[in-house]
Amino acid sequence: MMAVLALGLAYPGFLLLSLAMDRHHRDLLGGSPGRVRRQLCRIGGWALLGLSILPCFALWGWSFGAVAWCGVLTLAAFALVALTTYAPRAALLVAPLLPALGGAAWLGLP
Amino acid sequence: MSAPRPEGGRRWPGLVSRVVAAVAGGYALGALVSIACAVLLPLARSEAVIIGMMLSFFAYAGVVLWVFAARDAWRAWAGVLLPGLLLMLVSWAGRPS
Amino acid sequence: MKEGFRQCMAWLHTWAGLIPGWILFAVFLTGTAAYYRGEISAWMRPDLRMEDRGPEAAMLGVRELQRIAPDATGWIIGLPTESDPLLRLYWRPPGERRFRDGILDPATGRVAEGGETRGGEFFYRFHFELHMPPIWGRWLVGFCAMAMLVAIISGIITHRRIFADFFTFRPGKAGSRSWLDAHNLLAVLALPYHLMITYTGLLTLMTMYMPWGMQLAYKGDQQAFIAEALSIAPQPRPARETAPMTDIAPLVAEALRRWPEAGVRRIGVSFPGDANTTIVLGKGDRHELAIRRRELVFAGTTGELRLATGNDAPAAQTVGVALGLHFARFEWPFLHGLFFLSGLAGTAMVGTGLVMWVAKRAPKRGERRSFGLRLVEALNMGTIFGLPIAMFGFFWANRLLPGVLDQRPAWEIRIFFALWLAAYFHASLRPGRRGWAEQAGLAAALAMLLPVLNMLTTRHHLGVALPAGDWLMAGMDLGFLGFGLAFALAARKLWPRPGLAVAAARNRQLREEGA
Repeated sequence: MMAVLALGLAYPGFLLLSLAMDRHHRDLLGGSPGRVRRQLCRIGGWALLGLSILPCFALWGWSFGAVAWCGVLTLAAFALVALTTYAPRAALLVAPLLPALGGAAWLGLP
Repeated sequence: MSAPRPEGGRRWPGLVSRVVAAVAGGYALGALVSIACAVLLPLARSEAVIIGMMLSFFAYAGVVLWVFAARDAWRAWAGVLLPGLLLMLVSWAGRPS
Repeated sequence: MKEGFRQCMAWLHTWAGLIPGWILFAVFLTGTAAYYRGEISAWMRPDLRMEDRGPEAAMLGVRELQRIAPDATGWIIGLPTESDPLLRLYWRPPGERRFRDGILDPATGRVAEGGETRGGEFFYRFHFELHMPPIWGRWLVGFCAMAMLVAIISGIITHRRIFADFFTFRPGKAGSRSWLDAHNLLAVLALPYHLMITYTGLLTLMTMYMPWGMQLAYKGDQQAFIAEALSIAPQPRPARETAPMTDIAPLVAEALRRWPEAGVRRIGVSFPGDANTTIVLGKGDRHELAIRRRELVFAGTTGELRLATGNDAPAAQTVGVALGLHFARFEWPFLHGLFFLSGLAGTAMVGTGLVMWVAKRAPKRGERRSFGLRLVEALNMGTIFGLPIAMFGFFWANRLLPGVLDQRPAWEIRIFFALWLAAYFHASLRPGRRGWAEQAGLAAALAMLLPVLNMLTTRHHLGVALPAGDWLMAGMDLGFLGFGLAFALAARKLWPRPGLAVAAARNRQLREEGA
């Protein structure tokens, strides 16, 4: 279950990166992002993707962690594409839900 | 689909020659890389052999890409034969006595 | 010149992908299934699963081998693990080159009779031998893997908008556009996996594909190379004097003391009953990335530890990591699942590429479809949906064939190939959406009814497995249901409904006008 935290960081990371692009910003939020918002999305997105490797290392150790991180990124990206295509509203909703769930699992809350 | 010739036109002999260069030439160059590593690398015998095997597949893939990217079949072949010859010479020179 | 280069790479990508494409699809799909080959084997012999993994299991195995094959020249015992819970016995009768094998029935302590099957091993071996003579199959798969490596690299060069199209998927677009989107996504999002699995696949058989450096450095003595690189203990010679074998249990206990995490996976006994017999215990690889042969070699009569092998040199380690990544034998369910999903993505990437080749060349209204186009389409349909049909049929055969049957494993495989062949026939008779829909429908029915069949034929169905927390059996059945659902969705989407197609086109037009 704790793997959800890694997903919960990678998924919003990819979501922010996609929101920095005109087409996806228009599809999900409407209109095109301003320059500041675009930059913020980019920085935030890369930062979250980078952070998502930490739970992987913590869970599986260095070598497996790196492998698992690649898998987590792949899964998160596929999930994002599927949701934005078939359920765009859910795509936005999942972004705060996943890390919350993952954080709860990490801290051992029920 | 256009054959790999910018000037167009279907030229079977050129294509066949390239396929041969890619499949057979690529394998030969891969084999030569594996031999050169096994002979030349200053490591334990088994280590040098393993490294040669691991690199040989990259050499093979590289040859295939080169052969189909080259402007004409002559260049394609030259790009296989020259490095091959070089590898052979180097391996020969560095062979264990 | 730059555009010319890209065109060349696009051409190379198309043909290096298409020509080996059907074999690659089959290799990818059966290889992906082989990630769960232990689970598949256990599902196919559900009554033979064994809880015990330690000295007790080893003793049972030795006792049975002493009973059925006391004069064998070699024994191997595969100890059960969590994901592969069957105790396997192999023995080589005197004068024979190949090992025979059986599975120990924990209820009787004897080799199980009836219900024999190749199980998950069939998919595993198929994915690199294609059920051909090993030499042929391995070279053919190696050739296709090399083409795959070339196709991946040329594909990366061809795809000029990797980052701009990173999240782009536009289903319902005309012609081959949405297929191209899907193909790009499946390729790019799982690219590390595709490169890794193709290259490490070549490495698994590198001593066969590229033996030349080894031949030269070891003067043709391949055994010497393997002994050095993998650090395998040399085979003893038989003394041709009989002597009783030592008790196996303390040896296994000793190994477990050294490897508390990994456990013992394999026990090899050469020349059992001889005075010179040796017992080799192989380490398991539960939570290690690198597959490294680690063995403890004992004197068979006294039980004295002679040797602990293992090669930690950097290149040998690197190969170990590569093989570890390819085999993915570690027992972390989530990570294992990620590999399985990535394998499915690879399968789908090959499949969408094949379909795209046809979609790009779809004839205009009134044009005749060329022979090549029809051939490729039939091969596509019979491979992409026909192979899953055959695989589900393999499981059906396992449950429906009588338990006691001469050559039972061979019959299961015959049914597998008969179904696959039938799918190709069907595909050639029924080109177009209709054929695709029918095959998807059949695959869906076969998959979704498997748990039902399991319920009718065994005592390990969902109704029992779920309450008992038996996740192996329940997971397999739920997996079948999931795949069945996916095929059902595909069938529904593909089923030709003329009225609907017109309405959909109209809707799309309206939407585009509105936008």
